[in-house]
Amino acid sequence: MYPQAIRRTVFGTVLCVAVCPTARAGAESDAQPKAAVRANGAVTLIRAEKLIVRPGKVEERTAVLVQDGRIVAIGEHLTAPEGAREIDGKVVCAGFIDAWSTFGVDAAALRDERVSAGTQTVDAWDPFVDERWRLELLRAGVTAVRINAAPNGKVGGVGAIVRTHPQLDEAHAILLRDACVALGVGISRGTRGLDPFDRLADVDRALGALSDGESYLQDKIDYKHELEAWEKAIAEKEKELDENAKKAKKDREKDKAEAEKSGKEFKEKSYKEDKRPKAPKYDDDKEVLARASNGELPVVIEAHRALELRSLLEGIEKYDRVRWILAGGSEAVACADELAERKVPVLVSPALLGQFRPEEQRLAEPSLAGRLAEAGVPILIGSGAGDALGARDLGLVAQLAIGAGLPREKAFEALTLGAARAFDVADRVGSIEVGKDADLLVLDGEPLVAGTRVQFVLSAGDVVVTPEQ
Amino acid sequence: MIVIRALVLLAALAPTAFAQSFAVHATKIHGPDGVVEDATLWVEDGKVRALVRGKDLPSDVPIREHAGEITAGLVAAHSYAGVLAESHDDTRSVLAESRIAHAFDADSSDLRRALAAGVTTLVLSPRPETLVPGVTAVAKTAGGTLLRREAHLAIGLDARAQRINRAPTSPAGMLAELDARFARPTGAFASAAAGRLPVMIAAAERDDAERALAFATKHHLGGALLHTELAGELVGDVQRAGLSVIFAPLGVGAEKRAIDSVVALGKAGVPFAFSLDLPFDAPDALRFSTAMALRGGLERAVALDALTAQAARIAGVQDRVGSLAKGLDADFVLWSGDPLDLGSRPIAVYVDGIERLGGAR
Repeated sequence: MYPQAIRRTVFGTVLCVAVCPTARAGAESDAQPKAAVRANGAVTLIRAEKLIVRPGKVEERTAVLVQDGRIVAIGEHLTAPEGAREIDGKVVCAGFIDAWSTFGVDAAALRDERVSAGTQTVDAWDPFVDERWRLELLRAGVTAVRINAAPNGKVGGVGAIVRTHPQLDEAHAILLRDACVALGVGISRGTRGLDPFDRLADVDRALGALSDGESYLQDKIDYKHELEAWEKAIAEKEKELDENAKKAKKDREKDKAEAEKSGKEFKEKSYKEDKRPKAPKYDDDKEVLARASNGELPVVIEAHRALELRSLLEGIEKYDRVRWILAGGSEAVACADELAERKVPVLVSPALLGQFRPEEQRLAEPSLAGRLAEAGVPILIGSGAGDALGARDLGLVAQLAIGAGLPREKAFEALTLGAARAFDVADRVGSIEVGKDADLLVLDGEPLVAGTRVQFVLSAGDVVVTPEQ
Repeated sequence: MIVIRALVLLAALAPTAFAQSFAVHATKIHGPDGVVEDATLWVEDGKVRALVRGKDLPSDVPIREHAGEITAGLVAAHSYAGVLAESHDDTRSVLAESRIAHAFDADSSDLRRALAAGVTTLVLSPRPETLVPGVTAVAKTAGGTLLRREAHLAIGLDARAQRINRAPTSPAGMLAELDARFARPTGAFASAAAGRLPVMIAAAERDDAERALAFATKHHLGGALLHTELAGELVGDVQRAGLSVIFAPLGVGAEKRAIDSVVALGKAGVPFAFSLDLPFDAPDALRFSTAMALRGGLERAVALDALTAQAARIAGVQDRVGSLAKGLDADFVLWSGDPLDLGSRPIAVYVDGIERLGGAR
């Protein structure tokens, strides 16, 4: 797809990284490569007539210097270092993040009903999925996606934020391996709708999962304290025994001799301190749910009907640290005030739904995002789990929401910093600030406006889209 | 049914009953000869009286101000709106004399949904699930007007029309049956053979389209291919056959090949439009399709044409709707901004000069 010349100049160094064995090893370890620097030496200077630093903050006539995958300087008077690639653009903004996608996830994993809370979606993710598709996403300005296994199931496992860059090794492609845990409530399978009791059972199951996580966490905390107390008691007892060691030895020998004499079995003296506290049984699902229950991981719960939403709002109240993101929310307008008060972001997917839609989405309207935003509910936007290539159309989907009443700047925020913040990758992407990764777009007009074309796309500092393509 | 008919009649009479002269001034009006900025659309007796620059009108004509753009009402070149229940009879493969117009329900909620998205005219069609499911019609989404009772002879020439339990069971069988009907044509077949009634041939796949083009050429038939996703890859053949193309809407996640196909027809100047297969589709699917094609490289003028004038020509009602030319029905949409931008929305929709959506209805 790339002209050979571009492939050589732009990706020459990247390919080295991709085949470098140490980079692969890094990807396989559990440690998160936080703000991994791509030491590829590539330097790019982008001059912008208008730089959208982040939603609501604009700088006119400035420049962005990108080096080793990161933004290293922003300023009016920056000059290009020798050998740097120079790009002139009208509007420069952060790359779009699709907050609800299936891009790159194995098709069978999407339908797998055995997915549990501890399932890692990245295990079913193919970083080498068709390069042409990746380029389609990039050309549309989508530089990252949130993926979750079993997007329509009751449990979607641990979701990840991954880049769409076609030439990255896993370490750089995965922005965050554990970005959230996903649950679904009242989602019909095929054409069969769920009756209210099944739906409420789903709600109970979702709340039960949080409760399990919380109990597990409490057990772990209790164990930690018990262990500390035990270790202290043991130390004290040992000290005490040490002090009386001679007498104790004499007593023991005496007891032993007596036992032999009377033909009885000799028993070592036992101490109550000998009993070590038992660690809670390791459970990878509950490990994840524990992190969800204390707010370490956001919980994406897909729910649509007012009945489920109200029940969830009521049940989730006692988990004040849970960071709940409501996905779908077809009837969320019915409890917009409560969602706004609790600052629950709603992840909408303003899809083109005809009459024959899933039953729980019967009342879904394109105006949902706009009406929720008006009530003060934070909005996130995703292309939805319908089609892997849907991520490419994220911008158009966002425009549908704009047409139905969502202010354009809110839509832009949803696609950039809003999504980055909600899924804990705002230290890496979502805005154009020094120190962040260079995932950005150079446009010939305002973002999310018909007719605006994406001219250049940088992903992890690499120029992956040019106007010639 | 009688009550509905009566209502339809009443509604159809409404435009003339409330005849009046008024005008709408807008930032931009997309007229028959291109875009006119700072323009006024003058409406009289439900028809377009004139499209003028500025506000060059007699002083007694009331003018509505609109800070946005105006286009002709959108036209969907194929739809099941309001006729779905009666759009299909699986027992007989040829029902050429069946008229979908008889099933038209002017009060259907599908029509209201379409109207709200700026769609003012729809081609009502039987489902292409039999070889010859009947004759299409053209209706407005408000006022109950049937613009044409007989618009196309619908022909199903792809897998959707094949069954294993009744003839024809194969593409060859389908063509043999059609050839026989056109050898000594009567009724709707005769009208089609004589060029009085265009055909609308459902041909979803490339091979279906190739058969359909050969068949149309052989019998000198005019009309359109329906739902031919990859028609753009056969652009030369389509052009030689002189047919138009009605694409299914391009939805979220559509294949690049399908988008490129639309763009290719646009570049070659082959007439095309989109179907809005209500109630299966959301009404916004029409503009979503052009937004996808625009991003894929389609020219703006061609995109807007596909939604209006070109679709009206394919429907055979270009002398009534699809453009804001003088004398045509005053069916138009007041958009909040660029009509091709999904971020714009209809502020008001007029049909026959009557505001049917927004403000006083």
